[in-house]
Amino acid sequence: MAALIRGLKAGRALRGLRSVAVQGTLSPQCNNVRRGFHRAALLRLASDSKSDTSVPPPSYHEVHTAGESSSSSAQGESSEGAQSNTSFQDQSGEHGEDYETEEQLQARILTAALEFVPQYGWTVETIAAGAETLGLSSASTGMFNNGAGDLVLHFIAQCNAQLAETLAEQNNLVQLGQAESKKTAEFLKDAVEMRLRMLIPYIDSWPQAMSILLLPHNIPDSLKHLSTLVDDIWYYAGDRSTDVNWYTRRAALTGIYNTTELVMVQDSSPDFEETWAFLDNRIKDVVNMANTAKQVQATGEAVVQGLMGAAITLKNLTGMNQRR
Amino acid sequence: MHRFFRPRRMLRDAKQPLLWTAGQLCLNHKPVVACVRGYIVLPPTNDEEEKAMLHRMMRVDHAGEYGANQIYAGQMAVLGQTQISPLIQEMWDQEKQHLSKFNEILAENRVRPTLLLPLWNIAGFALGAGSALLGKEGAMACTVAVEESISEHYNSQIRTLMEKDPEKYTKLLQLIKEFRDDEMEHHDTGLEHDAESVPGYQLMKAIIQAGCKAAIYVSERL
Repeated sequence: MAALIRGLKAGRALRGLRSVAVQGTLSPQCNNVRRGFHRAALLRLASDSKSDTSVPPPSYHEVHTAGESSSSSAQGESSEGAQSNTSFQDQSGEHGEDYETEEQLQARILTAALEFVPQYGWTVETIAAGAETLGLSSASTGMFNNGAGDLVLHFIAQCNAQLAETLAEQNNLVQLGQAESKKTAEFLKDAVEMRLRMLIPYIDSWPQAMSILLLPHNIPDSLKHLSTLVDDIWYYAGDRSTDVNWYTRRAALTGIYNTTELVMVQDSSPDFEETWAFLDNRIKDVVNMANTAKQVQATGEAVVQGLMGAAITLKNLTGMNQRR
Repeated sequence: MHRFFRPRRMLRDAKQPLLWTAGQLCLNHKPVVACVRGYIVLPPTNDEEEKAMLHRMMRVDHAGEYGANQIYAGQMAVLGQTQISPLIQEMWDQEKQHLSKFNEILAENRVRPTLLLPLWNIAGFALGAGSALLGKEGAMACTVAVEESISEHYNSQIRTLMEKDPEKYTKLLQLIKEFRDDEMEHHDTGLEHDAESVPGYQLMKAIIQAGCKAAIYVSERL
């Protein structure tokens, strides 16, 4: 029991280290120095608290994964840290697991930053505001090499994940027979509408986000997210094709999604009615094209059969088919 | 005349509820008691690199079987009325089975098919028809060359998987070994039926095998 309490104190102290305000900007070179300080501080804490087994492993993890904030003296900060750290434990929700990876921390900051987007737009200030609500210093935006791009990509990934989850749930209901399966056109329309509705809270600043996504260094990531989105939607719509249809369907849906998104940012009708009408029309177009293609193919085959029949009739009439 | 009236089997890929349902149920509740497909061939993994490697392997294998299917189709189109046609039909049916198995795997694991499938469609048919125009021996020589390339390719895949982790990939190894054995059988059948007696056999074989190697290389990446 005493060892457990010591372990908790050590964990809290380490979080305190992270939240200390940094003088000057964080740079990658500083990270290693900071990690060194971290480890020194950690060893001092561990030896002071005299707990041998329970403290080092979890704290070592934290040292490995948390890379920011420095301290000149661990002892000085630990008391300060102990006060301002209850928020972390509340947020992580678990008392035993007192470490998280850098990616998880970044994700938390970006999620918190999203509520400031209407105020500051898709910028580094938004991320700083988000970090501050978590009790971190605004200089922790240095963690994000891509700045606002990180925020937009995180938001997109979050929306796509949410959509995939919802579609999977709906799929489960259909599999269990508790819901009707939709026709493909209707399914696509609903899925794209659901995904675009996630943009509504941020629609005023969305053109800024779109332009950030068009920056050359962001294009690969944004294309990856877009292709994952379209693949997910088609998968849950029931597409199991393994030929060139795989590509044509996804290309068509990508076109539909992008154009509808563009219409949405300049749509001022109530509840974006015009956007949904536009979406409906585009999907109808694609369905029409697919049907037309099938009809053309069927007609072509029928024509070929007709011609072969005519040729054979001609051969019969001219007597060329007879055995000599 | 009957050839033109053979109905086309349209694969309605969006409406395979039974198989798909069973597949979903299989994936959600392991171990499986009553399932149409009793096992999962690709081991589920969270490692991105491993997933990419497995997907690449399945993509190129699918492209290979697709091409082989078209080659036999081309051969049948030319030699369909001759004495060799039952043999070619039999080998074609086995390739169709392989292709449908890979279609299943691709759909189940959401693997992207290669972009060059239309190219392999045309190239395979042209190769099959072209070699068949050289007569039965030409068709057999083409079969020998292609099946040798495919067997070699499957063997290198088996080697890769064995080097990584034989236990994890048991099902996949079993599948590839089975297919490789089928392809070797086709190869031997081709040799039995006077493949080597076609004029320019060595040259033809070298060209076809070079083409196959290039096709495999490109399909893995695209």
